[in-house]
Amino acid sequence: MIKRIGTICLMVMLAAVLIAVGCKGTKNKNTASEEAGGKPQYASKGDEGTITGKISYDGPAPELKKIDMSQDANCAGSSGDKTADDILVADGKLANVFVYLKGGPVDKFSFPTPSDPVTLDQQGCRYHPRVIGIQTNQPFKVTNSDSTTHNIHPSPKVNQEWNQMQAQGAPPIEKKFPRPETLIPVKCNQHPWMKANIGVLAHPYFAVSAKDGTYTIKNVPPGTYTLVFWHETKGEQTQQVTIAAKESKTQDITYKAGATAGATSMQIGPTLVLP
Amino acid sequence: MTDIKARPVNDTPNRGLHRLAIILCCMTVALLIAGALVTSNEAGDSVPDWPLSFGRWLIRSNNFIANVRYEYSHRFIAGLVGFTTLALAVWAYFAERRDWMRRLGLIAFAGVVAQGMIGGMRVWFPEYKALIAVPHALVAQSFFAVAVSIVVFTSRSWWLPREMKSDEKGLALRTLTGTTVLAVQIQLVLGAGFRHQAFGIAPHIVGAVVVSVLIAITVATVVRRHRENSYLARPAKFVIALLIVQLGLGIGAYLARLTSAGEPQPLEPMISLTVAHLVVGALTLAMVVTLMLRCHQVLAPARQPGSSSVESHKIHSAASGSAV
Repeated sequence: MIKRIGTICLMVMLAAVLIAVGCKGTKNKNTASEEAGGKPQYASKGDEGTITGKISYDGPAPELKKIDMSQDANCAGSSGDKTADDILVADGKLANVFVYLKGGPVDKFSFPTPSDPVTLDQQGCRYHPRVIGIQTNQPFKVTNSDSTTHNIHPSPKVNQEWNQMQAQGAPPIEKKFPRPETLIPVKCNQHPWMKANIGVLAHPYFAVSAKDGTYTIKNVPPGTYTLVFWHETKGEQTQQVTIAAKESKTQDITYKAGATAGATSMQIGPTLVLP
Repeated sequence: MTDIKARPVNDTPNRGLHRLAIILCCMTVALLIAGALVTSNEAGDSVPDWPLSFGRWLIRSNNFIANVRYEYSHRFIAGLVGFTTLALAVWAYFAERRDWMRRLGLIAFAGVVAQGMIGGMRVWFPEYKALIAVPHALVAQSFFAVAVSIVVFTSRSWWLPREMKSDEKGLALRTLTGTTVLAVQIQLVLGAGFRHQAFGIAPHIVGAVVVSVLIAITVATVVRRHRENSYLARPAKFVIALLIVQLGLGIGAYLARLTSAGEPQPLEPMISLTVAHLVVGALTLAMVVTLMLRCHQVLAPARQPGSSSVESHKIHSAASGSAV
């Protein structure tokens, strides 16, 4: 009887491990096939245009919420801001909006991958910057400027999830995201207020709005696109835009104070997504 | 059902084993609290490796900070519960003469090992957080129910001679209490599903209504039929008291969660209310399990019409344990 119980337990555990490993394997396989899918390389004709704009915030600037860093003396004692930076509004302009192009020529061509890394730094127990854009397979570097240990944990849906510790003074962590994904939340599970977002695109036509709400997307091939504006808490908005040869276009947008992003864990219905 | 009268049984309860089972139950409650603190503080992935923590069994004090405190404490208490369960299983195996009790000890140990493995998988495969965390919660509560059962089976009250009565037909208490245990267990899983964002809140609210109705019917039936029998009436009254507290904590925890949804980090009172809600849920399960076991012990299945009916007779509790 004991032998039978033991055998059953062992079989259940093995089955669970195999299922989980199998699911992981499938994900990697998809990644590889995605990378193999070929599109013609974009060849510049020198007639590219520029999209610039300002992102406004209609309503009073939200009060910045205080972060309680007392759980970690190194964080509490660090210099720097101790307020949440999920909504940064200054003079009616909204920062940290990820702006990118969708459709048109950017979906028809492939674009060279930059070799210079995009860096996410941990300083004062916060991520800098809060929102970043990166191209697929572009090096992604995480540095720790703090005198404490962090763990970096992106939770993508189509890329491979990872969770890695980085101690004080540890060398940078280098990773790549092989599949386009907008956007990947990043969290430090040791310091739950530390959050960032990474927009991964197959092309270089994206920008993040600065503190004054401005953004610029340069070298845009002529064509008609959907211009997507994404904000962590205020959600997504889109505009149709057509860029003629060598045209510079201004595309401003306004976020209303009452707008919120989509579903959260407080929603009523089921949210389970099976792999 | 087996006939235990054919086998030798202990003449007296094993008090040492009973005390160890009580210690195990208390440690399991502490473990449940630690687990709830991990979830409520979003600390589940704060230690990225397993079974070691930052490459060590005992972490350095400078690593024991922020959310790591919750995750590492959870792992540490889990280890203590594992060793205590092993001790209990070994003790039961050599000291117990009831075969099914020896098996129960081994089941408890298998459960704690499986639970540790599931917890490890939760760390190894963070992308399947909800899919692994919900079974982790289910096994946790099931293990607690098994530990409570061992306490009941080794208790002195279980061994006292009791008058056995025939369970009434229709709404048989043996069936009703069993259904209630199952419903509470499902409800605890739905609650875990909500906390781990596998489900929305709706299934948990529906579950709360179903469980409340079932508990109300069960308690009303027990009190109506066995008012004078404190062996059954007392746990029934505890269950209804726990249910009232649990409903209040559930509403409070949800409202606190709603109001703190925009905060940069988990805050009080959401954390404490959620932890208390989980613990009272576990205690409710413990109490309905106790009630179910006692009903199975002292209530014989209802007789079919035409068969000879025995109103009541004295039984030895140890023998009745075989029916569970």
